[in-house]
This record gives sequence, C-alpha cells and structure tokens, in this order.
Amino acid sequence: MRKLSPFLVALALLPGLSACAKKEEAPPAPAAAEASAGPTEPTGPCAINLFIWSEYIDPDIIKSFEQKYTCKVTTEVYEDNESMIAKLQAGGTSQYDLVVPSGYVVPGMIHLGLLAELRHANIPNLANLDEKFANPAFDPGNKYTAAYQWGTVGIYLRKSQAKNYKPSWNLLFDPKQQPGPFLMMDSIREMLGSALKFQGKSVNTTNPAEIEAAGALLIEAKKRSQGFEGGVGGKNKVLGKEVTAAVVYNGDAARGMTDDPDTQFFVPDEGGVIWVDSLVIPAKAPHRDWAEKFIDYILDAKVGAQLSNFNQYATPNKAALPLIKPEDLANPAIYPTPEMMAKLELVGDVGDSSKLYDEIWTRVKSK
Amino acid sequence: MAKKGAKPGLEIRFGERLTPARQAVRSALTSGPGILWVTVFLLVPLLAVIAMSFLTRGSYGEIGLPLTFENYTRLAGFGAFGFDPLYPLVILRSLVLAAGTTLVCLLAGFPLAYFIVRLPPRGKQIALTLVVIPFWTNLLIRTYAWQILLGPESLAAKVASALGLAEAGRPLYPSLGAVYLGMLAAYLPFLVLPLYSSFEKLDWSIAEAAMDLGADAPRVLRHAILPQVLPGMIAGMILVFIPAVGQFVIPDLLGGARTVLLGNAIQQQFGASRDWPFGAAIAFVGMAIVMLGLSFYARTAGKDSEEALL
Amino acid sequence: MRKPSLPLWLWAAVIFVFLYAPIAVVIVYSFNSARHGGPWQGFTTDWYGKLFDSREKIDAAKNTLILGLASTGIATVLGTLLGYGLSRYRFPGKKLFSRLMYIPVVIPDIVMAIAMLMFFSLIRDRLGLFDLGMTTMIVAHVTFQIPFVAIVIRSRMIGVDPAIEEAARDLGATAFQTFRHVTLPMILPAVVAGAMLAFTLSLDDFVVSFFTTGPGAGTLPILIYSSVKRGITPDINALSTLIVLVSVIGTLAGLFFQRPRRSSGES
Repeated sequence: MRKLSPFLVALALLPGLSACAKKEEAPPAPAAAEASAGPTEPTGPCAINLFIWSEYIDPDIIKSFEQKYTCKVTTEVYEDNESMIAKLQAGGTSQYDLVVPSGYVVPGMIHLGLLAELRHANIPNLANLDEKFANPAFDPGNKYTAAYQWGTVGIYLRKSQAKNYKPSWNLLFDPKQQPGPFLMMDSIREMLGSALKFQGKSVNTTNPAEIEAAGALLIEAKKRSQGFEGGVGGKNKVLGKEVTAAVVYNGDAARGMTDDPDTQFFVPDEGGVIWVDSLVIPAKAPHRDWAEKFIDYILDAKVGAQLSNFNQYATPNKAALPLIKPEDLANPAIYPTPEMMAKLELVGDVGDSSKLYDEIWTRVKSK
Repeated sequence: MAKKGAKPGLEIRFGERLTPARQAVRSALTSGPGILWVTVFLLVPLLAVIAMSFLTRGSYGEIGLPLTFENYTRLAGFGAFGFDPLYPLVILRSLVLAAGTTLVCLLAGFPLAYFIVRLPPRGKQIALTLVVIPFWTNLLIRTYAWQILLGPESLAAKVASALGLAEAGRPLYPSLGAVYLGMLAAYLPFLVLPLYSSFEKLDWSIAEAAMDLGADAPRVLRHAILPQVLPGMIAGMILVFIPAVGQFVIPDLLGGARTVLLGNAIQQQFGASRDWPFGAAIAFVGMAIVMLGLSFYARTAGKDSEEALL
Repeated sequence: MRKPSLPLWLWAAVIFVFLYAPIAVVIVYSFNSARHGGPWQGFTTDWYGKLFDSREKIDAAKNTLILGLASTGIATVLGTLLGYGLSRYRFPGKKLFSRLMYIPVVIPDIVMAIAMLMFFSLIRDRLGLFDLGMTTMIVAHVTFQIPFVAIVIRSRMIGVDPAIEEAARDLGATAFQTFRHVTLPMILPAVVAGAMLAFTLSLDDFVVSFFTTGPGAGTLPILIYSSVKRGITPDINALSTLIVLVSVIGTLAGLFFQRPRRSSGES
C-alpha cells in the first residue's frame, strides 16, 4: 500500500541494523533449556517497576495494563543511557523489572551481566516485530531484548526566531549561523556522533584523534550555547521559549510541533545518528514473569500502535503499522525518507573504545 | 563540678562516685549508639571512598584491581589524551568560588547584622525571623527559582541587555555570575546568624570609649568592634566556605555544564561517566580541603570555636 | 542604642528583597497558564487542582513524610543520648570523637552521598542487604541528623544546673531515674527543637536522597529536581509553593517553641 512503502523502503535502508555484529564478549552461558521451555504463567500479585526514558510511554497504556492484570506499575525516568546504566550498576538490577536501553549499550550490559534472558515462550507477540528488528546486531536472536521504538536525533527550533535558517549542523557549530541561544543534547554518543557525522566521520569510530576532534568542536560550541540538556528538556525549553534551538530526539520534537506550529524539527543535511531502543529485563528483576507479560502487551499490534501514536516515534512492530496515524507515516520527521536514511548511521557498540568516548565527554562537560 | 577523689581516676560528680569503669558504661549507653551509627555509616564509608580512589575502572564501567595512582595523576591533569589542566582548574575554580562567595556574603551580611543589632527587641525578632525563613526553605526550590528570575524575558535579563552586559533575549544563566547569585542567596543566612550572635554580645562601651578618645569611624570599627565580632565572623565564614567548596545543586542548576565545579565533577563520575574510582579521588580531594579548613579554624579560633559554631 | 540610619535600612531592604525574590517568583509563576512554563500568559489556579490527580506527586509526598518522621524519630533518640553523654561523661578518645561528630555537619553533602552509595554497594555485594530504597535513605538521613541533634542538646546541657541533678541523686534516684524524671523534662524544649531541626533537614535534603534512593521511594525534592531538569512548568511551581508554605509555617512554629528559653542555643 502506498502509505506503507516509505516505511518499508526506509527500513530496507536502515544501515547496520542486521550487519555483522561487532566483537562482543560471550555472555555468561545461560540454561538453553530455559529459553525454549513452554510458557509459564506469572505467579503472585502483579507489580512492575518500570525504568524508562521520560515522556516515552503513554500513561493510558500503563493504566490499561494495570486494569487488565490488577497490577501496580511504578515508573521511574531517566534522560540518558549512561545514567541509567549507572543506576543499574549501583544496585538497580534487583530492583527494576523493565528498562529501555538503546541498542549500542546492550552488548556492554550483557557483558556486565546486567540482563536476564527473555523466555520467548512467554512473549508470543515477539513475532510481530519486523524482521529487521527481530534479529538485531546488538542482540542476535532477541535473547535479551525486544525492540521498543526507533528514531533519529536532529535540531528542533523556533521558526520565528531562527529566520532563514539552513538545515545544517552549522547552526550550532558555526558562530555566524547561530540562530539564538541553543542547547546541545546531554548524551554522549548522540552528541559526539552528530559532531562526528558533521565532520564526515563514522559515529562508531575508534580513532582517538577523530573522537578528540569531535570533542573540540563541541567544546567550542558549548561556549556559545546554553549548555547541555536531555532531549526532552531541550524540547521543553524550546517550547517554553527559553532557547531558540535544541538538539532533540525526533519523536519528542514531533509532539512539540503538534503543540506549537511555530517550531520545526529536521535532521541536518550532513547526516546524523539512528538509534533503536529495546525493552530488557534486568538480571535480578523481582517480577520477571510479569515483566515478560508487559513486553508481550507492548508488542501487541493495537498497543504498539497506541504507543507510537502517543510518543510519535517510529514503530518496529509490523503488525502495528496499519494502525499508525497516516499523517505520522507520511511525516519524514518520524519515518525518514530514503534520501535521509542514506545519511544516517546507526549508533553501535565500540567495545573498549567507549572509555575514550567517556573521557572526551567528561572533558567536554568540564571545560 | 568534678571533685578529685582519693583514688586517681575516680571522680565525684553530681553526687555520685564515677569510676572509670562506670563512666565507660554510661558513655557506652548514652554516647555509644550515636557514635557507633555515625562511625559505621559515615566514617567507615569515607575510608571506603579513599580505598576506592586507588582502584581501576574497566571499559564498561566495572571496578576492580589493579591498584593504581592513575586517578590522582588524572586529577593532576595527566589523562589519556595528554596533559590538560582541566581538573586542577576545576578545583581552583571551586576554591575561588567558595572564597568569593564568602567574601560577598561578608560584605553584604556585615551591615545587615549591624542593622539588626540596632533594632528594638521586637524589630530584632522580626528581622531575625525574616532571615531565618529562607534559610529553612528548600534550597532546591530557591535555586531553581533563579532560573525563572534570570530567564530570557525576565527583568534581570532586560536590565542586563540594556546595560550592554548581555545579548537581548538570552537567559542570564547558565553562567558563573548566576552561580554566584545563587550561592549568595543560599549562604547569606549562614553567615549573618553567627555574626549577629557576636554583635549581640558586643561590649559597646569599648567603642564609645574609643570615640571619646577621638577615634574616627573606621578606626573604631577596626580596633573596637572588629576584634569582638571576630569569632562569630570567622565561624560564619567557615560555615559558608566549607560547604560552598563542594556545592553541587547550585552549579548544576545555574551553571549548567558550562561551569563545572568540584560538586558536579563528583556527581558526573557517579552518573553518566560511571567512573567511581575517579569520582572517589575527586571526593577525597574535597574532603581534604574540608579537613584543612576545619583544622585551620580550630587552630585560629581556639577554644571558643565549638561554642561559636553553635 | 540609636536606631539604624537610613542607608542601613535601605541596605537591609535590598538584602531582604534579594533573599525573598526566588520564593516570590515561584509562588507567582505557579499561577501562570502557560503549559510549558516560560513567559507569563495568564492567571489560573488549575495547577493546584492537578497536583492531587498526580499519583507521582502524591507518592513522593508520602515518601517524604515517612522518611522525615522515621529518620527524625531515630535521630532524636540517638542524638539526645549522644548530646547528654558527651556533656556528662568522659571516656577515652572523647575529644577525637567529638571532633569527628562535626564531620556530617560540614562535609559537602555530595561527598557524604557518594560515600554512602559506595558503602551500600559494597554491603549489598557481600551480604545482599541495603537495596537502595526507603531503608537506605532513612539510614542516610539519620546519619547526618544525629550530630545536629547532639549539638543542640549538648549546648542546652551546658545551661542545666548540675546541682539539681545532684540533689536528685542525693535523694536516692538512680542515674537513669534522674535522667528520665529530672534532666529530660528540663531539656525537653531543646529535644523538640532538635527534632524539628532534624525533620527540616530531612525534608530539605536532596543530594543524599538522590544517591541513596530506589524505585518507588522517590521524595519530593528528587521529583522537583528531575522535573526542573526537563523544563520548569507551573505545576512544579505549584508543588513548590505548597512546600514553601509548609516550611514557613514549620519555621515559625519552631521559633515560637524556642522563644521562652532565654539561655543558650539560638539556632
């Protein structure tokens, strides 16, 4: 059908998603039998501790799940992957039942033993995932993850204040093109990745000189900026007229544009990053079986569509596609065109080099 | 009221014979639990911090051996990318900020304390209450409020751009100036209250005598008033300086990531940067500064020190 | 003494405006009808009503209260005993420990917070105890409250005439009875003052709570911080206004309690 094809084309071009996996440590050997056993029903009263990005899930979905299973769902939010992992490492693996990391941190989390395996028998709706997402490079076979949403990072600005702007990263990186006060995204790989893309390098480079150069660019831009903010915070501050532009996630921006037509989102011409978020269950989750029920619930076609229609991100759920709002399917800010996809690069795991990224980032934030 | 008894170590106090053994038991029952609690839950963890600062952080954020001085050399500026005086500057900046805040609080607070002391008793109560209320109001709320006060359309921003100090339409934060404002608003009561205490106990006759002898106002201030209020003043300055060095919330909300100070540098390592050993090293430096400040205070203020802090 | 001169009055006025401007602006902007914050758009009281619909905020308020009451209870008992013990009895190393008791008072709260976080992690790895949550927060709060309570009690004890205690002992009371029936009633206002101080410290605390909290145990300051990071909205201002109101009432009540005592120990 006409409306679906841009999505399918975009998906076909989604670079790197099913490419060869980067070198990973073998995760601790699980009981293979567990993964392929028959479905188990959750026992005990239903309770779920959800740890998720802010403004990422429809409160109505939580309410309907709570009603359906007489459940108490507590939600805690975070603004970036690294803080989330920090919380898990500080003891959260035995406290949260569901977390939503981006793909590139998953191999590290597996390596650190932070994740529990998904028992596919309990999550029949996994079949609803599009093939591209059913076997991602960062987690072959969906052993630990179930794709949640995917999207891009770009610039979100107020048109009336940024007259005659060019859709380029130069709005941030070239002092002469600065549209007004702006914020950068407080997220290591998305922000450094955008800078790398602008400089024509790979977002997954392990070359220290390239990473350092990207850092230097950010440090210079920081001096003229209002600092760093999470994606949601940046979006809200543009809406609140505190800044003219911010680096944000596309779904948040799409919702912002609906709220305030004076605002506009775009992925700059030089390119940018793509990310894929997934639902995972921490290793010692107190309510593992209920968590799997929740994942199954999210992967349902209707619920999946409700989710994406709410947060306006792109869905990895092919069964949900027919139920997505047509205007969203046609919106290049949510489902990028083939031309845009060619310039986007999936953020991946960089293994030992993540220490380099961390140190450059600390320098960027501290200078 | 201790009277030395015939046996050494035995005291007779409040009408009972207190052998050292008895005192030990009494102390264990009264002071014991409190001291034990603070020792176990704070002093031991602080030692753990020192220990942690010598460990290594793996590529994924795991912590482990080998023992290393790397975190301290990194603090001194020798990181993975060559020499960079980043962290020495962070520490220096924090010390300067704390000192600057203390000075500004002193300049603003001294006249205020003097003002309150000159009010009639009823007025004193009201004024002191007015000073104390913000002191007891949540610091977080008072600090984020400065974001509103310094926003792009705020009065302050308009005045600043009219005076040419800032571009029009830009918020006045995050900036070092905004952090100073926030710190001043937060710490002023800390200084005014002990200072006022000293002013209250002032012997004005000395000042009057000086004036009778022909001294002018600055000399009266310097020789008759200042020496008397010095204990309260120093206590207040310490109460501002030491917490200001490690302040996290105010630089975080008003300085953004543009002004990193000791407090946010530590927080970063326990947050997104996930480098606990390095964070522990920074924290240790913070602790060392506090300890130095405290022992300096104990030495200069002498035995009045503890009382003045109350 | 002469009344203060005009320049002094002006100076004081400037300072007070400066100190109260943040509080005032939060209250005023809690009535702003602009949903995403920012410039004034119109007057509305909607945000206050919405507060009570928000489960997140009500849970946070509950947690804050439980945390405050529990920690204050424990800290007041331990702190009073400590203050009394330090003022009456000697033991080896007393001077050292007295000094060490000041550490929680002056230490930067972030250093204390991370130290406790580290400590809880270590214990959790070995013994499986101290999952981050309400328990760890209570433990952490008590740790910084005890010295404050002890300081208040100890300073009050200086003003207690030992002759009264001695008289009680002469009349045959045991040390415990003396403490309970003679000393305690005399220092009761200080105990209450210490408790109120501890309670306020707990209510106000953000940094230590932030690092020692766990799922479902978030407090109001933590909620405000994470909301403010995502942009200040009028409903947060409404919540803050209510908190400020509670603080003001609490402070006035606390000051009222302390007033009749003319001797030592004004905050």
